[in-house]
Amino acid sequence: MRGHTLSELREGYSFMLPLIVFLGCFVLLPVVGTFVTSVYQDVTFLERKFILFQNYRRLIGDADFWRALRFTLLFVAVSVPLEMLLGLSFALLLNQSVPLRGLLRCCVLIPWAIPAAISGRTWELIYNYNYGLANFLLARFGLSDEPINWLGSSAGAFASVVLSDAWKTTPFIAIILLAGLSVIPSELYRQAKVDGANFLYRFYRITVPLLKPTIIVALLFRTIDALRIFDLIYVLTHGGPGGATTSLSLYGYRYFLVGDFGYGSSISVTLFVIALVLALIYVRLSRWSTELT
Amino acid sequence: MNEERMQRLLTLATSGFLIVFCLAPFVFMAVISLSGSPEFLSGQTAFNATFGHYRAIITTPSLHFIDYLRNSLAVSAVSAAVSTLIAALAAYSLTRLELPGRVLILFLILCVTMFPQISLIGFLFKLMTWLGWINTYGALIFPYVAWVLPLSVWILVSYFAQLPRELDKAALIDGCTRWQILRKVIAPVALPGILSTALLSFIFAFNEFMFALLFTTDHRARTVPVGIALFQGLHGEIPWGNIMAASIVSIVPLLILAVAFQRHIIQGLTRGAVKG
Repeated sequence: MRGHTLSELREGYSFMLPLIVFLGCFVLLPVVGTFVTSVYQDVTFLERKFILFQNYRRLIGDADFWRALRFTLLFVAVSVPLEMLLGLSFALLLNQSVPLRGLLRCCVLIPWAIPAAISGRTWELIYNYNYGLANFLLARFGLSDEPINWLGSSAGAFASVVLSDAWKTTPFIAIILLAGLSVIPSELYRQAKVDGANFLYRFYRITVPLLKPTIIVALLFRTIDALRIFDLIYVLTHGGPGGATTSLSLYGYRYFLVGDFGYGSSISVTLFVIALVLALIYVRLSRWSTELT
Repeated sequence: MNEERMQRLLTLATSGFLIVFCLAPFVFMAVISLSGSPEFLSGQTAFNATFGHYRAIITTPSLHFIDYLRNSLAVSAVSAAVSTLIAALAAYSLTRLELPGRVLILFLILCVTMFPQISLIGFLFKLMTWLGWINTYGALIFPYVAWVLPLSVWILVSYFAQLPRELDKAALIDGCTRWQILRKVIAPVALPGILSTALLSFIFAFNEFMFALLFTTDHRARTVPVGIALFQGLHGEIPWGNIMAASIVSIVPLLILAVAFQRHIIQGLTRGAVKG
């Protein structure tokens, strides 16, 4: 590191100033504000009152909160592995020199580029009980005698959300994993082929270990993102039926909407802490896996 | 060889699955938007091909679709331009000038990507109310810029770090200021990276939902995703044809960008993620 003159320092930091101002005012300050508000009773038209952990105590006794938490964690646990599997198979395909590879890559970008709130409306129609595409296909191919009540039953709504989310986010995973795959030297595969290693053996002995760091990055991004799912659920199920698909983000949003900022903030803080803990676990995991190899 | 044939078969099957999986909802959206009776799959009515829904959403002022689209395009374009400029300045400083505290700033930027949107919204809502910005472009542009900045900075840092320092040194000797170097030397060379960053920022801003839902109240600032999410008929029935036509029209700009700049977008996404 070299020394800096005062004017160099001033110039350097002035380049950084807009970034710091924007992140400070519109991200860091709001997050700190949310932490502070979570220990207050802060409801529109009522006097703001310091109540320490009473909001959190209320959370513990709130059955709807526990249901939202359970749904959110279950959603992450089901959708992230499903999307990883699909994404990995897409990435493996896109990494090969198949004909029309450019076309396939464009196809993959389409679900990613469409806002979830917009595609959510299309999914809502696809899952329609009477004239949706899903029940039409099931009947056409004779897979189900009865039409399925996709959005009207808890299990159906859960499956609908998972499937629609997989459609929207698998492309992202595929693109990240593709980047990891493309730096694996093809020499390795050729060598293994010469040595008579079959397809599966090559996959487990070359692809998986070398792709592991990228897989962990993709897992981290997807997990954090799936934890805060909001748009799709807001549009597709409105958190229903009967609260069965209400995520923590949607649950917290409802309190902000009616002006209960204190309780909404305590829900937000809880979600933030869960995200942080999972992120730390992944970081540990990635450090641990690099130490092993 | 047996194995090669199996692999080819697998490739073909996965390709087919990928195309159907990715395109089916999009095709369904397009088909319904062209049908006079969206419930035709029930078998009780015919398809009734029509452009009526497109005409309706474009020519009916009370639906406000054109307003939503204009708001979305304006807010996303301004957010993308501002955030790319701010990110370029910061990335230049972070990669070129070895300032004390830059590791802290990079760490801070990484932390910011962990925050759930819901943890900002309560405070931001109060802030925007206090500023009197609710239902204006400002209520969306400022949070959007901040929201996409971490990604923009990561991408640009990874691009700028690759450029040789000799570029800067030569320009410094010629008497350029740092700002001139960034504008006249670095920016032209890093143009692909800057383009990826701007495109991704635009798409992210266009996709945003929660802020737009809470900080806007009507067609003066409401964006397309919120507009389409809240689209209702006059008498409680859902106007599926109009919704699908509006969806198609509003995603066309995104799809054109995605297809035309496929390579840039994929590169930008991977750099943003792999770096992080």
